[in-house]
Amino acid sequence: MRIIIGYGNPLRGEDAFGIDVLRALEKKKLKDTKLLELFELTPELVLKLLDANKLVFIDASYSAEYSYTLATPLHIETSSHLSHHISPLVIVSALKTLYAKELEFEIFSMMTSEFEQIKNHKKYQSKVQTLATFLGLD
Amino acid sequence: MQSKKIVIDPVTRIEGHAKITIDLGEDGAVADARLHVTQFRGFEKMCEGRPLNEMPALTARTCGICPVSHVIAATKACDAIMAIRPPKAARNIRRIVNLAQMVQSHALNFYHLSTPDLLYGFDASKEERNIFKMMQTHPEMAKDGIKLRAFGQKIIEQLGGKRIHPEWIVPGGVSHPLSQEKKNTIVEELPEALEIAQRALSFFKENLSRFSQEIENFASYPSLFMALVGKDGRLEHYDGVLQFIDAEGNVLEEAIDPAEYKEYIGEAVESDSYLKSPYYKPMGYPQGMYRVGALARLNIASHCGTPLADKELEEFKKINGGKPVLQSFYYHYARLIEIIYALERIEELLQEEESLDPNIRASGGVNRLHGVGCSEAPRGTLFHDYTVTQDGVMERVNMIIATGNNNLAMNAGVKQVAQAFVDPANISDGALNRVEAVIRCFDPCLSCSTHALGIVSSQIELRDHKRKLLQVFTRN
Repeated sequence: MRIIIGYGNPLRGEDAFGIDVLRALEKKKLKDTKLLELFELTPELVLKLLDANKLVFIDASYSAEYSYTLATPLHIETSSHLSHHISPLVIVSALKTLYAKELEFEIFSMMTSEFEQIKNHKKYQSKVQTLATFLGLD
Repeated sequence: MQSKKIVIDPVTRIEGHAKITIDLGEDGAVADARLHVTQFRGFEKMCEGRPLNEMPALTARTCGICPVSHVIAATKACDAIMAIRPPKAARNIRRIVNLAQMVQSHALNFYHLSTPDLLYGFDASKEERNIFKMMQTHPEMAKDGIKLRAFGQKIIEQLGGKRIHPEWIVPGGVSHPLSQEKKNTIVEELPEALEIAQRALSFFKENLSRFSQEIENFASYPSLFMALVGKDGRLEHYDGVLQFIDAEGNVLEEAIDPAEYKEYIGEAVESDSYLKSPYYKPMGYPQGMYRVGALARLNIASHCGTPLADKELEEFKKINGGKPVLQSFYYHYARLIEIIYALERIEELLQEEESLDPNIRASGGVNRLHGVGCSEAPRGTLFHDYTVTQDGVMERVNMIIATGNNNLAMNAGVKQVAQAFVDPANISDGALNRVEAVIRCFDPCLSCSTHALGIVSSQIELRDHKRKLLQVFTRN
């Protein structure tokens, strides 16, 4: 089963990108796919991912230069940044190290500098639909 | 030696966005150090004009970490405005959810934020002192942390509807009664959770002797303490009265009605931080510095009222011969005792017959134009203070957040640690880690305290006395 995790704060403008992509995906009724909407990633999430064979993380990432660019980050934040929320890498590492689940995973981010509002609705919605369509093809 | 300033910006492994500045004097020694919270959102302003019954759901969005605390305080403020008292079943359910929040939040701080320091030491390299290493060397402990957090979250999800922003707690009570089935599900898992919590506490106590330097220098100083307490002196997180004690354990103000908090708490504003600095009014600012949170609660309470936690509290109180424990390193200790208490108390509450009562909500309209809700959040005492129009529209909101209460104490702690461990001529990673770690003792939630959600990255800047940048240390 593929689990797609969209995370962000729906009250924080473009931070809700992951959530909005999930809502677009809901309409597609994807087979063998579970959608998880989260405010942020926390350690106990790993227990909900034990049945997965593939993980997809969708979020918004800060970039002042490349707003509305879709990216798959090559460098993933490590736990040195560990706040009360954690990074996808901690989740994937915990699954592998603690539960012997080595999963294929992908991370999709929409670059944005706007975490208080949706600055350009047209561009934002276009990126939501682009990613939803791409993930729907899998 | 040239006077200079060291800036740790932002601080890592805390929730939200902050930086630390360390000012060096002309003699080259650390002269001062401060925590600056550099994010702002202004939730209080956003709430103005909203209907009263929206407040629990709205203020819960202040934070994704401790939304339950905001829901509890908000609904209590709404109850006060409606001049109603929720039925016993509702009060019990609210208490259970609040305690579950305590379990998951304290577990997160211990296992995922603080344990790397405790396992490998503050001087270990960053490559050795992190969650990945912990998962490799102590997998069972890492799994314990996940299980305990999952258990706390599961209770919130079972009773609150969803774990991040529960909607089951509403003005006047709760929206659904507790079912026997849900009760059984929680009760079944309590023994394992309790075993995990006891293992964590044993680990902590066994390792305490390795951290004597940190214990003596991590925000270890006389201060006041403030917390809610039960009328019989029992540990209290949901209701009760406010109490201030001094460093000797003398009660300064007894049985304060939380609604009267403004008589005792002032809120100072500093120009270099969005985090307000609450202080005990009768002593003035900044002399009226006080601490809140698990350490304050255990210093103020005479007993927990549950068997295992009482035994641990007795041992805890021996640290300073029965007087308040002044070393903030022991916040970790206090949080672990509170997890045990919370689990025991959840079971007690679940076993009360009234908890299954279907009468779970009182109703009413606006009967007062002003109401205060107060509860103990994981990080300390939380106040929601609302003024409404006769139609129930929010006119004014004031929130004193748990982390904010500790602002002056955190600043004093940062200064103490910087003076004890930072050698300006040879700034080590271990020293800077300790400066951050003293803040983690308080487990601040800056998202809440500034009503914002921030980004944590990692950088240290070295500046001279004119704030000219001399050097940048990248911490990650």
